[in-house]
Amino acid sequence: MGNLTGDEMLVNEIKAGNALAFEAMVIKYQPKLLSSLIAYTKSHDQAEELCQKTFIRVWQKIDTFRGDSALFTWIYRIGINLAKNDFASSYAKSKKKTDPLDVSEHDISSHISPEVDLIGKEAEGIIFTFIETLDIDLKTAFILRELEGRSYDEIAKIMKCPIGTVRSRIFRARQIILEFMTQENLLND
Amino acid sequence: MTKDIEKLSAWYDGEISQEDFDKGLENLESNPESKKILHQYAILSELMQRKSKPQVSKLAQLKDYLPQKNPWLTNAFTAAATVLITIMVLYQVDSDRFGSDEASQMQLTSALLSQEAKDLLISADQNIMDHMIHIMQSNQQHEPSSIPKEMIPVGFMPSAKNPSRYTNGNNNLYFHIENKQLGIKKVKYFKANNNWIYLVPLNDGRLLTAYGDVPPELASKMIRSLN
Repeated sequence: MGNLTGDEMLVNEIKAGNALAFEAMVIKYQPKLLSSLIAYTKSHDQAEELCQKTFIRVWQKIDTFRGDSALFTWIYRIGINLAKNDFASSYAKSKKKTDPLDVSEHDISSHISPEVDLIGKEAEGIIFTFIETLDIDLKTAFILRELEGRSYDEIAKIMKCPIGTVRSRIFRARQIILEFMTQENLLND
Repeated sequence: MTKDIEKLSAWYDGEISQEDFDKGLENLESNPESKKILHQYAILSELMQRKSKPQVSKLAQLKDYLPQKNPWLTNAFTAAATVLITIMVLYQVDSDRFGSDEASQMQLTSALLSQEAKDLLISADQNIMDHMIHIMQSNQQHEPSSIPKEMIPVGFMPSAKNPSRYTNGNNNLYFHIENKQLGIKKVKYFKANNNWIYLVPLNDGRLLTAYGDVPPELASKMIRSLN
């Protein structure tokens, strides 16, 4: 492994003007950001628009990213700040009109559990049930990575196996889950 | 082919050398299928993230936490129908003063029915809210030995009953030290009724969080001595 993390390498490339690296970053973080913004705005359309604005802002401001926080945390903050600004401007407009504020759109408590998801609740349950049936080694490696955010090195120590085996197990788990999602029509694109 | 996708999986996780990173980028350019797979990995990660972190309103977390995890904070929070949290930024420029920046004061009320409170909360500093919740949720006080003596306000000592709590007989104080300053450049403190949370960026790059029912008049010596 090199000294730099994957995200650090990605950021360096983007700072150097590599559009492909930027595209890779969008592919990697767009679902996570979109999901957060849907939860925040309760509107898929608004969230998509904010998502686009966020990545444009990321491209413009990448030079100011110093790595004090994780890359996604930084992206997320930009997205949420843009959402707040959106909210503030719509609130100001609604006040000007002296109309009552549309509580259903802006109520914080309504952000607690998003109803609109990239993958529906029912599908989510089916996928999680399927993951439970995976071979124990594949499931353990995959969950340590995806749920706990452990590095391959840490997983190798926990599972007492070589890093190459961890890499292979995580890959195979992903492949099996994605094949299942495709077969069951749970993957939209 | 399988080996290539396995490499892509490791690339997605950032578990690669600089050379493999560069090759992965080239592969993305030449192979549209790689982009599709990368996107599917990202969707899967997002799905798993939902399982790991159920989304809960930060305000709800804070409100729910305080009475449960900090029993000595309970009375103040439950007695008041409306809880006021005041965020103040303290000037450090004038060391003779321990004043607060009036212009930056912002009162947040947790009365959930108040639309104004929600608006203010939305515009509150995300970093601070995140940190507050982190501190409250972690509830892991440092052992007394890990808190340097100079950080303890004069007259305070570890409680006989609970060594992670410092007391002067009347007031109580807990400490946390974080390795990151989370963008906090000036001393900030929160007031929640009679309780206070101080966020003190230290010169060594760490962040000291002290919380308890210690008012600024008492905490000021500690804060001045640290910066």
